[in-house]
Amino acid sequence: MNQLDTLIHMANQIADNNSHYGTQEEAAARVASHLTKFWARSMKQQIIDYLHSDGSKLNPLAQIAIAQMQSSIRPEPADLCG
Amino acid sequence: MLQHFDPTKDYGTPASLSETLVTLEIDGVEVTVPEGTSVMRAAALHDINIPKLCASDNLEAFGSCRLCAVQIDGRRGLPASCTTPAEAGMKVTTQNGKLAKLRRNIMELYISDHPLDCLTCPANGDCELQDMAGAVGLREVRYGFDGENHLDAEKDHSNPYFSFDASKCIVCSRCVRACEEVQGTFALTIEGRGFDSKVAAGQGGDFMDSDCVSCGACVQACPTSTLMEKSVIDAGQPEHSIVTTCAYCGVGCSFEAEMKGDQVIRMVPYKGGDANHGHSCVKGRFAFGYATHSDRIKHPMIRDSIDQPWREVSWEEAIAFAARRLKEVQAQYGRESIGGITSSRCTNEETYLVQKLVRAGFKNNNTDTCARVCHSPTGFGLKATLGESAGTQTFDSVMQSDVIIVIGANPTDAHPVFGSLMRKRLREGAELIVVDPRKIDLLKTPHLKDAQHLPLRPGTNVAMINALAHVIVTEGLEDKAFIADRCDDKAYQAWREFILDARHAPENVEAITGVPADKVRRAARTYATAPNGAIYYGLGVTEHSQGSSMVMGIANLALATGNIGREGVGVNPLRGQNNVQGSCDMGSFPHELPGYQHVSDDTARARFEQVWGVKLDDEPGLRIPNMFDSAIAGTFKALYVQGEDIAQSDPNTHHVESALKSLDCLIVQDIFLNETAKFAHVLLPGSSFLEKNGTFTNAERRINRVRKVMPALAGKEDWEVTQDLANALGYPMNYGHPSEIMDEIASLTPSFTGVSYDKLEELGSIQWPCNDQYPDGMPTMHVEDFPIGRGQFAITEYVASEERTNRRFPLLLTTGRILSQYNVGAQTRRTDNQVWHDEDVLEVHPSDAELRGIKDGDWLGISSRAGQTVLRARISERMLPGVVYTTFHHPGSGANVITTDSSDWATNCPEYKVTAVQVEKVSQPSEWQQNFRAFEKLQHQLLKGDAATLTDGNGAG
Repeated sequence: MNQLDTLIHMANQIADNNSHYGTQEEAAARVASHLTKFWARSMKQQIIDYLHSDGSKLNPLAQIAIAQMQSSIRPEPADLCG
Repeated sequence: MLQHFDPTKDYGTPASLSETLVTLEIDGVEVTVPEGTSVMRAAALHDINIPKLCASDNLEAFGSCRLCAVQIDGRRGLPASCTTPAEAGMKVTTQNGKLAKLRRNIMELYISDHPLDCLTCPANGDCELQDMAGAVGLREVRYGFDGENHLDAEKDHSNPYFSFDASKCIVCSRCVRACEEVQGTFALTIEGRGFDSKVAAGQGGDFMDSDCVSCGACVQACPTSTLMEKSVIDAGQPEHSIVTTCAYCGVGCSFEAEMKGDQVIRMVPYKGGDANHGHSCVKGRFAFGYATHSDRIKHPMIRDSIDQPWREVSWEEAIAFAARRLKEVQAQYGRESIGGITSSRCTNEETYLVQKLVRAGFKNNNTDTCARVCHSPTGFGLKATLGESAGTQTFDSVMQSDVIIVIGANPTDAHPVFGSLMRKRLREGAELIVVDPRKIDLLKTPHLKDAQHLPLRPGTNVAMINALAHVIVTEGLEDKAFIADRCDDKAYQAWREFILDARHAPENVEAITGVPADKVRRAARTYATAPNGAIYYGLGVTEHSQGSSMVMGIANLALATGNIGREGVGVNPLRGQNNVQGSCDMGSFPHELPGYQHVSDDTARARFEQVWGVKLDDEPGLRIPNMFDSAIAGTFKALYVQGEDIAQSDPNTHHVESALKSLDCLIVQDIFLNETAKFAHVLLPGSSFLEKNGTFTNAERRINRVRKVMPALAGKEDWEVTQDLANALGYPMNYGHPSEIMDEIASLTPSFTGVSYDKLEELGSIQWPCNDQYPDGMPTMHVEDFPIGRGQFAITEYVASEERTNRRFPLLLTTGRILSQYNVGAQTRRTDNQVWHDEDVLEVHPSDAELRGIKDGDWLGISSRAGQTVLRARISERMLPGVVYTTFHHPGSGANVITTDSSDWATNCPEYKVTAVQVEKVSQPSEWQQNFRAFEKLQHQLLKGDAATLTDGNGAG
């Protein structure tokens, strides 16, 4: 698997394991929270880019969660760059 | 804690735990002791030392030697003080003419059948028989030495670490009783009667042919030189000792390193150690020779590429080279293109420093630890449900358990000293439930009650835990008061509704797990109705695609039955390596600062920024598998690995090797040229646990001191190397001693604020949290509340692993470890432990073997979706049909060539326990193994700086 396929697989797996938490909205919030909390900035950006460019390999819950998660990604602190 | 050879006092018999006190008089001294204390112990507690030979305070009183006879007013005869309980009003005399005569007579008989070679005896200076002869004033042996005796008895040298010299044996039975009571193996016995009585291993063969597991308890118990370490026979008695902590498994045993100068003569389990209470296993007790093995890397080395010879350089040059390469990579590929990996084999202070170097010096959060591949789901699952990423109990808590569930763990092999304690409790009558595809040795515990074994199919843990919970809820076995008082009601109601669904009923889950429903129902009832039910689990829980779900499922079960917050119960992860708990506590994970404080927590991060003097990244960094993927993708280019062998221990070896080869700079700090180092550009010599100061934190959150007993072979302790690298990178570190690092940890970590080296000296060890609220630490967690307020039930839907069998791969491979080897084997393979396990084999069930025409010892090709390797067959009924098993202790075995990228959904912990494979007879090693051998040969030549190998045509694999 290439890196993007791995990330897609991971996102779907997280969604599958959280799909039974209440409504789809509640489940999506859990998945988004998980991605926010545990994924590196570069991984988040890659999966967001994929969602916007194609997204077809992501299951529906993962798609909703990634869309939610993108608003919480923090910009790279300016004083760490370079 | 330097001790100038003052052996720890032996009080003769175990302590009584009674709270009722009795007062008696011994030699005119008024003595008050707990009811049930022996007269011998009562006397010893008040420095009245009664002669003894067959008594030892880690063994029940035996009353065999009679040397401890005393006189008690109003009692007939001279009773043995070891077997006589102290009673209120008793008047005891321990020394008078009559007793002296009796004791001299007894010693005279012993000595009449004992070699008089004290001056040349290896126990000279450490012999209780010699001491007692002196104590009773023996001056002659009236019987002579010409009668029948045992002086020509055969010696047994079969064990690599100790000898059995029967001519020195006084048949006190201490070794036999230690094997039974302390270790629980029952390998030794007294054979024959009367004069013919003798200690025998097993059925009268030698020690190596018996069930002996070489724990050393018999050697420790022996009052003469009958059972004696070969290292002492060779080198003589040690002259000083230093208490330190074992560097093997997560039990974290305390040992006295007994020394002659800077040479370790033997490691003796320390009775004052709170984790092990004076017991040990074959690894900690005997397998320390690796520390001075000739393979040790003693000089820093560098090279530009992995096909070039290593060049020995000074520390300064190596550090400067490493720093320059890291800076160059970061300049070319960006801030996040480099990272570091810490190890659970390193101390708290070392792991803290590496993650600090990454976060503050590399300016990113690309730090991870080998807990990623073992217990990361424990951290996730227990924090989500109980609020703290740690086990809830002390090891001693098991002695209060009535029902013990062991899930996916093999304590007698992987955590042997705790396994012995557990066996002791099982012999006392606790019930055992094992949830494991394999028939582990715990099920064969002597004197075990009717144990329950749920041999589920690999990969179906969550279905099983849900079925157990379903029974508990549907049959009304929940602890409703506990749930109402301690648990979050909304989460509980959601979980209850989830678990009540009929799909979780054992009858409906049977097809998934393969375990009959009635067995599951019985086990659930047994656990739920026990006064104290405890769950212990290991990597058979965590190393699955649903490892985190399973950890949460275990917590659900404990919460639902109220088995949390007191002695005898709890959720107990058995950590694989010595400092798994510590490496996680110290902020090794990419998303958490020390003390499990998330990097996005602005308040916590600000505290670190203030003390560390730099701005920190507020987003998580890459995990180890993400680092590998990024390396192959070309965005991650440099890695600093301290004490970890990712090339051997991580799954899908082809993938790992590709990642390592993609790096522009790999810096490995290790005591050996491990498999990862063969792909490195900088090799920095590590220091063994004997060569440094620091602390380890064991599986019960116990912080123990690691004390330096010899100089670092390469001149630097590991923390000094990290500090040098930080300074060379321009991030200043100026610690003078690891205690200063611990002081910084305490200042930044809420659960460690009370921890210091001074306090560790004072208390011996500390179970965190240790802070203002719990100044001496906290043995049992969650007694009154949870760190998150109320316990959180979690929804744990069973999601089948994608790693499934089919016609091409019809068998399931599961992996594990054995007693004599440790993890990747880098340490134990360089000791005599090799005699027990010099190669990894594939265990195959007889029915699967018969189907394929496989016989014991055949070479088998094992193929999976990831790769192929070849191992020798061992026919075994320990697994179910359809399941095969191997260990990963030898790099050439290539066990991880076959394991896949499948991993836990929450943490990416690899699914080592489930790999679909096919097995067939073959006649030669796999292609990977052939390449491995060539590459290994090349790298060893390059280690010698042999540039000629470049033109020899030895291909890099």
